[in-house]
Amino acid sequence: MNCVVITGIGVVSPIGSARDKFWSALVEARSGIGPLSGIPTELLSTRIAAQVRDFDPSQHFEPKQESLLDRFAQFAVVAARSAVQDAQLELSEDMALDAAAIVGNSAGGQTSLDDGYYKVYGQRSPRLHPLTIPRLMSNAAVSQVSMDLGIKGPTYTIASACASGTHAIGQAFHMVRSGQVPIALTGGTEACLSVGTIKGWEALRVLSADTCRPFSKTRTGLVLGEGAAMFVLETREHAMARGAPIYAEVLGFGMSADANDITAMDPDGAARAMRSALIDGRVNPEDVDYVNAHGTGTALNDKGETAALRKAFGANAEHLAVSSSKGVLGHSLGAAGALELAATALALHHQIVPPTANFEEADPDCDLDYVPNTARNAPIEKAMSSSFAFGGLNAVLVLGRA
Amino acid sequence: MAIIDDVRTIISQSLKIPVERLTPETRLDELGAESLDVIEIVFGLEEKFDISIPFKANEGTRLTVTDKSGSEEMEFSTVGDLAGVVKKLIEAKAPR
Repeated sequence: MNCVVITGIGVVSPIGSARDKFWSALVEARSGIGPLSGIPTELLSTRIAAQVRDFDPSQHFEPKQESLLDRFAQFAVVAARSAVQDAQLELSEDMALDAAAIVGNSAGGQTSLDDGYYKVYGQRSPRLHPLTIPRLMSNAAVSQVSMDLGIKGPTYTIASACASGTHAIGQAFHMVRSGQVPIALTGGTEACLSVGTIKGWEALRVLSADTCRPFSKTRTGLVLGEGAAMFVLETREHAMARGAPIYAEVLGFGMSADANDITAMDPDGAARAMRSALIDGRVNPEDVDYVNAHGTGTALNDKGETAALRKAFGANAEHLAVSSSKGVLGHSLGAAGALELAATALALHHQIVPPTANFEEADPDCDLDYVPNTARNAPIEKAMSSSFAFGGLNAVLVLGRA
Repeated sequence: MAIIDDVRTIISQSLKIPVERLTPETRLDELGAESLDVIEIVFGLEEKFDISIPFKANEGTRLTVTDKSGSEEMEFSTVGDLAGVVKKLIEAKAPR
């Protein structure tokens, strides 16, 4: 089996689209959550979101290409380009023929879908833009990544709601590890801040009105976000041969399904995914130093995830540093696992544990070390990143220090 | 503005080519218009004139245009063809 490493990281996020800006905001617990803008809000009660604010599509795309791209595909393409650049990768014709592109997202081009429905039902418009379908299809983002970079190997999208990004990266990791492909572009993308989608989330009554406070007793729910993170994964041999920078090694990937509730997380299912990732990576629980938690800031998740960590790690859970990036990044659904894996890889790279932002008060049901508000310099040899999706689908990755 | 000038403007914006290059005889295919481009041009014309052009991507460049006096086969290849179809459809919807 091949040793698989991360050599490139590209992000488009509410806290910036340059890797250094992204990392410093995470470390300083500077939240990207702010007033919702740019869409009509008169039908919404939600007033906040973690929006990508510094993104101007015309800086990245010719008008002709831009008209083909929903926002979720724009994010993916820009993140993929910066991952390739970050990896100092020249994709030769031969390499591109074999390379894979696997991207997670939860629901396709939701902006295009929302605009289309508004035109049809709201404005009674007799016709829609001819590119409506190519823009909104779930695989549009990964197809645009493939077209933009010329990637011609296995290419598809994975949809598992809030675990999509993690499932996609795990799939790509297994493909590189098994030797099926020498190199993969992988990650997650989401642009879900449309009126219709937010309205749906409001109906679930899980959205916070002020901010996201994972694991804090004063939590008030989750805050929707958007963005993308893409990675270059390749064999260590391949990376070394071309003198590429290495951020971290991907050690293990585990998955499970709860087969239980459509929304509530099941600690047993989550713990099985964690254990499966440790076994897949031949990592002992006591060797994990840091967990980037799913940590949505809902009572059900935070308590359930704490119980799951105790189940999976036993007594070793006491020694874990656990933090959630969602106080800073919000919850970007299909992109969340990818953005959080970027945080995890950078934690290993910099040997700094990013904190849980907006933490106010300890919750007796969440009794682990959540690294509240202040980053910590600490040796990190192995780290875990977890995603638990609606529908009870769990995906967990384990990384090791480069 | 004459219909043909609107047609030229819409084609020029869609294909990103100068409007001066477009004469009534200019063929869309010789401008490098691909199938999606043609569909986008059709959409632009429909929006501009509030008409419905019976264009099907897989049925070539012959259109069957229907008005009150019956149906007529029309060619849909050149700038002038497009303007002719648009004119016919505008007349068809006008009250008599």
